[in-house]
Amino acid sequence: MQPDAILGLFIHLSWSTAAQVVMLGFIGGVLSGFIGSGGAFFMTPGMMNLGVLGPIAVGSNITHKFGKALVGSRRHGQMGHVDKKLSVFMLATAAIGIRLAVWVMKLMFHDGGDSHATARGAGADLYISVVFVVILAVVSISMLRDIVSSRRAEGEFGPSRKIVDFLNRFRLHPMIYFPVADVRVSLWVVMICGLATGYLAGTIGVGGFIGVPAMIYVFGVSAQVAAGSELYLAMFMGAFGALNYALEGMVDLRLTMLLFIGSLVGIHIGAYGTKVVKEVVIRLATAVIILLCVISRLVATPVYLRKLGFIRFDPGYDTLFQAVSKGLLYASGIGGTAIILYFVFRAFFERRKIRESLAVGRVEQAAV
Amino acid sequence: MQTIFVSRGSYRRGRELAERLADCLGCRCLSREDVIEAATQHGIPVGKLEEAVVKRRPLTEALGLLAERYKAFVTMTLCERVLEAPLVYHGRAGHLVLPGVQHILRVRALTDVEDRYDGVVDRLHLSREKAKQYVGQVDDDIRRWIRTMYDLDINDPALFNLTVNCSKLTVANVATALVSMAQLPEFTATPAGERRLENLLLAARCRLVLADDPRTRDLNAQVRADSGSVSVTYPPRQSAIADAVGEVLSGDAEIRQLRCTVAASTILWVQERFDPESATMASLLDLAGRWDAAVDVVRLLPETEGTDAVEPVVAEAAPSLSGGDGGILDDAGVMASDSDDGGVRETVHRLIQAGRAGAQCNVCGGQQSLIGSLCNVANVSLVVVDELFLSRGEAIRKRLTRDLAGRLGERLRVPVIGAEELRTRYLFGAKQWLQLLMTGGLTALLYFGVFTHQEELLAFLRSQGTTERVLAVTVVTLTAPLVAYLWGTAAHNLLRLVRFE
Repeated sequence: MQPDAILGLFIHLSWSTAAQVVMLGFIGGVLSGFIGSGGAFFMTPGMMNLGVLGPIAVGSNITHKFGKALVGSRRHGQMGHVDKKLSVFMLATAAIGIRLAVWVMKLMFHDGGDSHATARGAGADLYISVVFVVILAVVSISMLRDIVSSRRAEGEFGPSRKIVDFLNRFRLHPMIYFPVADVRVSLWVVMICGLATGYLAGTIGVGGFIGVPAMIYVFGVSAQVAAGSELYLAMFMGAFGALNYALEGMVDLRLTMLLFIGSLVGIHIGAYGTKVVKEVVIRLATAVIILLCVISRLVATPVYLRKLGFIRFDPGYDTLFQAVSKGLLYASGIGGTAIILYFVFRAFFERRKIRESLAVGRVEQAAV
Repeated sequence: MQTIFVSRGSYRRGRELAERLADCLGCRCLSREDVIEAATQHGIPVGKLEEAVVKRRPLTEALGLLAERYKAFVTMTLCERVLEAPLVYHGRAGHLVLPGVQHILRVRALTDVEDRYDGVVDRLHLSREKAKQYVGQVDDDIRRWIRTMYDLDINDPALFNLTVNCSKLTVANVATALVSMAQLPEFTATPAGERRLENLLLAARCRLVLADDPRTRDLNAQVRADSGSVSVTYPPRQSAIADAVGEVLSGDAEIRQLRCTVAASTILWVQERFDPESATMASLLDLAGRWDAAVDVVRLLPETEGTDAVEPVVAEAAPSLSGGDGGILDDAGVMASDSDDGGVRETVHRLIQAGRAGAQCNVCGGQQSLIGSLCNVANVSLVVVDELFLSRGEAIRKRLTRDLAGRLGERLRVPVIGAEELRTRYLFGAKQWLQLLMTGGLTALLYFGVFTHQEELLAFLRSQGTTERVLAVTVVTLTAPLVAYLWGTAAHNLLRLVRFE
């Protein structure tokens, strides 16, 4: 391939674009550390808004996720939050899911307007956007409904157990016991969830949004073990995904490295946030941030539809749609991160104050 | 005064055995069902808790507080009854409720699984297959309950003094054997044991009062008591609620002194001898300050002849150390005396000065006893083990310490480290500076290389030949984790440097 054609596939990186990618990584990292998912729901569309082609944004992000998961799962493992058996069982079918996703993506990339200069990759972009909108809309609305219904029903905020209880009635054999998670789940259910997780990780780079809720809502695993095990699974899925995308030449290593700069700092700050913010606030913030990301992607879809000839409007409006989409995405990410940072720094300074007071002497109340 | 706790699980003749034991000893018999009824009358929705465990719901913050409230009620009830008069209690996890009270005989009563299937077939008129499923389900529920409430395995034999398979024995004969065992001196109540019970009772009562009062209902507090001195530890985010603690507990006449300490977590420090001037102490204070953690001092005494089989002897204490630890060994003078407490007194004093004192306990009887004693310590973030098994040779000492660290890590599911690792892994010293500079430098080099050769890199990533593709894939899959490791380590160290952990 000629150098010009290669540069046409990969974006030109100015200082400003590079800074925006670092910022995307930072916000994705904060959200990732705070809500336990990979943060790809923000970073992938964010890169697409910067002009990165959809498959390259997914490929670069999945490679970034692989490296991050490798480091993160080690830390979770030290804390005993990883059920390796569960991850390995899910991995078996997740690998098939990823391979399938890459194959579909390649098909879309070449058949969906790749030959036309203005519509290059529009088919793949549209496909990614539709999957993104459908899946994440379901996730965020379910989370909001769950928060509202559990508050109304019991005055407490536990995740719904309806699916677990429903599946437990059937006991589809063979049932497998997972010792760290302390649950017994049908092998078939694990395999289906693994396949879906892998397919989505390969399609939009967001496996965690299926993997973590599946473990919590379908298997009945605690939130901490779900997050740790998903990260362990993500390490292998990320490696497999990165390998597949790299094989197709769809990884921009520069973007991956820029994402790392922000995300590996942000993830620590987000994780700190989980210690100082109430569980219900974490879930509420997650649901709202995801919903805004969904709306942002929805706004960008008419551009792809126009490029593919499904609808017609003045191409001059493309800029408007892109700007609104970008604005919404940034508003959700920056707004969510700002709220998290507010809680984090408030707690950080409170702790400093407490530490200073303790250094003077005991915090002792008067004898009763 | 004998006290026997029978863990019967789903063994249907456990009740009969407990009642027989109570008859033989001439004491009262209390069942789990009695305690649950009393708890329900007290306003604790035990059914809701049971439902959550049976239906495999992860414990939410609210359910976790409910579990703590129920555990406080059970502890308070059992302490009161045991202090009043001899008692036989039968249930699921009674043997776990009063840790460190040595004179209680803890018995696990079970029977062959085939007998249990037969029993279910007779009693519930189920088919044998259904009976098997039923028994499996019941066992699973009980195992889950104990795992959820106490994070322990009911099948761990180390939690009992004796496990009896009653299949080929009559209830009367089992009762006779247990009664004679209960007469042994080790199971006779001692003043030290009663003191331990009084401490547990006061702590449980305070915890229950806090859980019952609307002002402090949501407080995620750990309560410890020692001779009327009560220590309430709570996380920083609940500082506002904690202000009401003094007022809520003001009605308890037995509280001589009340201390409220803010702590995000607990660090367990396990040694045989302590030195308040040691480098480990300085490191721990530094770390506890960073984490807003309390430091629990655990002294593991060497196993001596005649004490190997003895259950853990534990003394929880607050600042004013008592020599008492609740066991017969204490009365016999085997435990640390005032003249040689292994440096515990000065160490705790130093921790109090720094506002980091948690609980203190002495454990005698080896690894198993230590693990058993620590099972109820909540919110532990880190365990530091050092200077243990000092009477042994260096090689054996290292092996035993490593073995203990492994078992503690497995049980508590938190990092267990040595003093040296504490300094290198959790604190910022010369080694960390070096690591920061090296990883930061290598990261900068890597980024410089990539961003000054962008076009060549992109051409390489899109190159077409098979060898080139394989090379490109290799470069991508190796570079990503390498950058993540290098920059991840550098960023982590940078945040530690500014105390952002």
